[in-house]
Amino acid sequence: MRQAGTYSRILSGGGISGRTGPHLLPLARIKKIMKKSSVDVKMISGEAPLVFSKACELFIVELTKRSWNMTIQGKRRTIHKEDIASAVATTDVFDFLVDLVHPNASQHVDLNEDYAP
Amino acid sequence: MGDEHDKLLPVANVGRIMKRVLPPTAKISKEAKETIQECASEFISFVTGEASDKCQKENRKTVNGDDICWALGSLGFDDYSQAIVRYLHKHREFERDRASAAAHFKP
Repeated sequence: MRQAGTYSRILSGGGISGRTGPHLLPLARIKKIMKKSSVDVKMISGEAPLVFSKACELFIVELTKRSWNMTIQGKRRTIHKEDIASAVATTDVFDFLVDLVHPNASQHVDLNEDYAP
Repeated sequence: MGDEHDKLLPVANVGRIMKRVLPPTAKISKEAKETIQECASEFISFVTGEASDKCQKENRKTVNGDDICWALGSLGFDDYSQAIVRYLHKHREFERDRASAAAHFKP
């Protein structure tokens, strides 16, 4: 009986969602998104989605915290899209998100052309 | 449902991660949560693209965990690496425990 309890607890992962194991984000979904990123991505090893499950969590945490800072500066308690846009604008590593949070409806700008590494 | 949701991480999971770092009285608009979802997918695409370029240059067909770690560093996310290394070790331990529990379990 004792052994069975240990076994099922290890299987359920003890994490937030039993179905995704101890990870917070579903690995299969991450893998799908990776594959869609480019036709050049053909094969993905087992650990790559795992690395992303943690990296995405850290990314979401950082973007959320920075957005919340903008919300507070505006003396509000609800995070809005504008707060995320402000956080992106003031964080260098989030430059790749600029077009996503400020979509330019009137003209299409190819950021790749302007980007100087 | 369709293709659209396949390109995004589940909003419930994203929301849970956000709530953990916000004070209990904080609120998140639906549009903001969706924006964070989209940003996360863009992050995955962006980093994967960089890792994939490296693999192509080195004539390798498979993008592995090390390639993702390298790409994260190359794109300015090197402060994530320590946490990721710890996470990988914990996961390998978890897999090892699970494998040995399965081996010892007697029906």
